[in-house]
Amino acid sequence: MEQLMADLKKQIIEALNLKHLKPENIGDDQPLFGDGLGLDSIDALELIVLLQQSYKVKIDNPQDGPTIFRSVKSIAEYIRANQTA
Amino acid sequence: MSNIFITGMGNISPQKTWGDAPLLSEVTEHIHERLTCIEPDYTQWFDPRQLRRMSRVLKMGVAAGSIALKEANIAVPDAIITGTGYGCLEDTGIFLSKMVENKEEALNPTPFIQSTHNTIGSLIALMLQCQGYNQTYTQGAFSFENSLLDALLMIKEEPALKVLVGGVDEITDYSHTIQKRFGKFRERSESNLNLYKTEDGALNGEGAAYFVLSGEKSGKSAVSMEFVGTFYKADAETLQSGINDLLQQAGLTTKDIDFVLLGNSGDQHNDEALQDHAFLLFPNSSTGAFKHLCGEYPVASAFAFWLGVKMLQEQTIPWSIVLKNANRSLNNVLIYNQYFGTHHSFILLKSCRDSG
Repeated sequence: MEQLMADLKKQIIEALNLKHLKPENIGDDQPLFGDGLGLDSIDALELIVLLQQSYKVKIDNPQDGPTIFRSVKSIAEYIRANQTA
Repeated sequence: MSNIFITGMGNISPQKTWGDAPLLSEVTEHIHERLTCIEPDYTQWFDPRQLRRMSRVLKMGVAAGSIALKEANIAVPDAIITGTGYGCLEDTGIFLSKMVENKEEALNPTPFIQSTHNTIGSLIALMLQCQGYNQTYTQGAFSFENSLLDALLMIKEEPALKVLVGGVDEITDYSHTIQKRFGKFRERSESNLNLYKTEDGALNGEGAAYFVLSGEKSGKSAVSMEFVGTFYKADAETLQSGINDLLQQAGLTTKDIDFVLLGNSGDQHNDEALQDHAFLLFPNSSTGAFKHLCGEYPVASAFAFWLGVKMLQEQTIPWSIVLKNANRSLNNVLIYNQYFGTHHSFILLKSCRDSG
C-alpha cells in the first residue's frame, strides 16, 4: 500500500504537471480537490485516464468519483479493491 | 471616419521584443533551421497553477495579450479577436499521437480541449472573466489581417470599444518536419542574419503579438491604423490598383508613404517580385524587411504590425531592417507582406502625434 501511494503521488505530479510539488509534499490523507491541492474537474478527468491507463481500473459509477478521488489513500484503496490480478 | 488607435501591444517573438529594451537594439542571431521565440519568465504574470496546463503557444499568446492590456491600462477588453493559421499545434500533435498509442481509448482531456484554434482567445477571456465578443480567424496567412478587419469594423461602429486583437502561431517538431517535407522551408541550418544574402528559401518562424485597438485616443496611442487590405494570388497590376485604391480612400498617394516594410522571406523568386514591385510603386520611400527577425509564418504580419507601430512611436528605423534609406521622417509606414507569393496584404500605420 505504501509503495502504491508513493507511485501514485509521482504519477499525479507527472500527469497533472504539478511541477511546484514533490511527492513528499502530498500527504496520504490530504484532500486533492478544493482547499487541499486545489485540483479541478479537468484534473478529475486526467485522474480517471491515469487509473485506466496505469492500473486498468475503471470507475463504473461517476457518483463515486468524489469519494474515490478524495485523497491519494482513497485512490490507492480503490485500486487495491478493484484491480484484477 | 474615426481613427483606429493602437493603445497597447505585447509581442513574444524570436527577438527580445518584450521588456524595456530599446527597439531591436540587439538582434538575436539564430543558427538553426527555424526561428523559435525568446520566451520570458511567465511566472511574473501568472500563478504556476495557471501555467501548468498551458502549452507553449498558449503561454506566448496569453502573455502577449497581458502585456498589451497592461500597456493600454485596461483590465478587461470589450472584445478579443485572434488570428492563427495553425492554432495550437503542440496539443493537436499530443492528442493525435495519444489517439494512436491508446487505440482511441482513455484519451487525456487536456490536449484535446486545448487543441482547437480558438483556445488562445478563449483562455485569455477565461482568465480575465471577459464575456464580450470573442472570435478566432483561421484563414491561413490572412488570419491576422481578417482579425484586424473585424476589429476595424467594430470600432467604426462604436469608437469607444477597446478590442484586443492578435496573431499567434507556433512551430512544433511535428509541424516543422511536415512543412520541410513539403519543401516550404530551407533545408540547412543557417544564420537568420544571412537570410537575404543567400536567398536560399524561407526560414520557418513563429510568434505571438496582441494589440489593443480603440477609436478613442489614449496617452500612449501615437499611432493609428488607416487600412488593411488583402489580395489572394493577385498579379502585379491588381496589387498596384489595389494599393492605389486603399491609399486614395485614406486621402493619400504613394508619395506619402515614408517607409515600406516588406515581407521578404528569403525566397529569391518571391522576394525579387515583391521588392521590384515595391521599388517601382514607392520610388521615393525608404524600404526595409523583417522576416530575418521573426521567420515566415501565417501571422508574421502581426510582428510587422508591432515593428511598424514601434518605429512610429519611437521615430526610429532599426538598422537591421533597412534595404533602402531615403532619409524621410516617419509619418506613414506601409506594411506590404507576402506569404509564399500567394497571400499579399497591405496595412497602413500612421503617426498621429499631432492629431486629435
